Amino acid sequence: MDLAVKDLKRHLGRFLTTVVGVGLLFGTVLAMNGIYRGVVFEGISLIESLNPDLWVVERFRGGPFSEQSTLAEDFHYSVAAVPGVAQASPYIAYPVEREIGGKSKRFTIIGYDVFGGMGGPTKLTVGRGIGQGHYEAVVHKKLGVSLGEKIPLGLHRYTVVGLTDDITSPDGEPVVFLSLPDAQEVLFLRDNETVRNQRERLRRTLARNSSNSLEAAKLLTALQSDTHTINAVLVKLAPGADRLEVARHIEDWLYFSVYTSQEEIDLMLRGRLAKARMQLLIFRTILLIVSMVILTLVIYTFTMEKIRSIAIMKLMGAANWVIIRLVLEQSLLLTLSSFIIGWLVIHNTQYYFPRKIFLTPLDESVTFGLALLGGLFASGLGIWQALKTQPALALGGH
Amino acid sequence: MEALKITGLSKIFGSGRLEVRALEDVSLSIAAGDLVALMGPSGSGKTTLLLCVSLILEPTAGTVVFDGDTIYQDGWTGFDVRRLRREKIGFIFQTSNLIPFLTARENVLLPQDLVGVKGEVAENRAEELLEYMEVAERADYLPPLLSGGEQQRVAIARALANRPRLILADEPTASLDTARGKRVMDLLKKVARENQTAVIAVTHDARMIEGFDRVYHLKDGRLNNSNNHG
Repeated sequence: MDLAVKDLKRHLGRFLTTVVGVGLLFGTVLAMNGIYRGVVFEGISLIESLNPDLWVVERFRGGPFSEQSTLAEDFHYSVAAVPGVAQASPYIAYPVEREIGGKSKRFTIIGYDVFGGMGGPTKLTVGRGIGQGHYEAVVHKKLGVSLGEKIPLGLHRYTVVGLTDDITSPDGEPVVFLSLPDAQEVLFLRDNETVRNQRERLRRTLARNSSNSLEAAKLLTALQSDTHTINAVLVKLAPGADRLEVARHIEDWLYFSVYTSQEEIDLMLRGRLAKARMQLLIFRTILLIVSMVILTLVIYTFTMEKIRSIAIMKLMGAANWVIIRLVLEQSLLLTLSSFIIGWLVIHNTQYYFPRKIFLTPLDESVTFGLALLGGLFASGLGIWQALKTQPALALGGH
Repeated sequence: MEALKITGLSKIFGSGRLEVRALEDVSLSIAAGDLVALMGPSGSGKTTLLLCVSLILEPTAGTVVFDGDTIYQDGWTGFDVRRLRREKIGFIFQTSNLIPFLTARENVLLPQDLVGVKGEVAENRAEELLEYMEVAERADYLPPLLSGGEQQRVAIARALANRPRLILADEPTASLDTARGKRVMDLLKKVARENQTAVIAVTHDARMIEGFDRVYHLKDGRLNNSNNHG
């Protein structure tokens, strides 16, 4: 006779309510695992996806993601000329907030050399890559635009020629790939009034310091701010080239800082993502402990409610294994059912979260293992109580 | 043949100034089919005697012989007492003490399940006992849905499930009115006579022991007299 199942059937409503409650708690723990992994995944997805051999950035800066880095665009020719470098591509990335489809949206614009350079989308879900120097874009699906749609950025409208779901910005925002000149134009495009204002300020400064106004007017055109800047140069090494040697050469002769992709990832994890990761990790640990404590209490309460029935069975001569099976089976049923509910909930709702919930089998296995341990620990407590229960309890004492 | 023989049984709780002598030098014997009543005031040791006889409580001294086997002697027991209880002793309590999450039928099936009797044999036995106790039509009800008398009759059916050699009944009529109490006692007498089962029943109520073979009075842990009520 399966006493555990019979008991649960008699209290089916309470059992199901408990399973749903504990299941939602497990769902929250799994969601927190996914949020933690998602923050890390999105934080380094750009770096991992591009994965050049070297990142060349402004000297003493941890750019281009951990810290701002600005280089003149034409420096990528100097980098390309370094022995051991097979290819050097200019790269720019910056966050913007623009109105698209009537809604204000945040996203990151990435500009790259569309004619064979590195830094572009690595995997397209639909459409093609950018094929011309201007007015084409490859867009992340999260932005909510469709293939062929035209999106307004600055003075121009850009046709969406491809969609990707591979890369997000380190903040989890969707990305928009443009050609390098288009990205620079969108970045540096100023409002007409701002341009006139800056020009007037510069003219006055020149007039104060020049011998005549004609000379100042001449200089004015030459001293407009340079919009041909980039954030980094992506380097692909020639076969057999020594990575360290090339990096040292670039640092010593061109006065830039150079990082490998792994060093870029480390910079992100130790810098920009460090506090968010620690915050989530602590919260995740607390949540797991709370879940295990609640599970333990629920199982222990389930057992203690039956303590008189257990005493009666012991008085009738029931063997210990009958009692152990009753407690253990209920504990395992409760733990397993709750975990399945939690698993189903998070696997069916993960896509409604604004940022990526990155669920891994390892995290799920570890969480299940810990839940099972909690269940077994609670069963152990319950069994211990059950086995030390005196059969005389059934008689109301002696 | 004697179903149970107790000689010089003592039970002492605590020690020193806190020592309580619950049973002192108790001796009695019961033959198969005998009905024995244990009477006495509260705290006289009636329930303790039942617990010591079934070895739920370990006596301090004395000898318990069950069905010709010495199951306890002065601090020693070589018996699997749980097995003894599930195979040879039936318990009836003051309240029915049915397992609340099992139906009346399942409560009668449980003791059989504990000794490995399952399937049709167990089902037939449960049906037979519930009919015998006149509660067959309530077989699929959970205990809270049965009246006090019905619960107690199911409890007797459960106690009889494995055809025990001895039934220990601890105030089985205490929670019932006089008419229902007498009905339960009549059933116990019927069971004892028809199945040759020895019955020890603890009761406060002298009206309930009509037809019992012997009545023992316990006072301060001592068994001080016995009468025939047959």
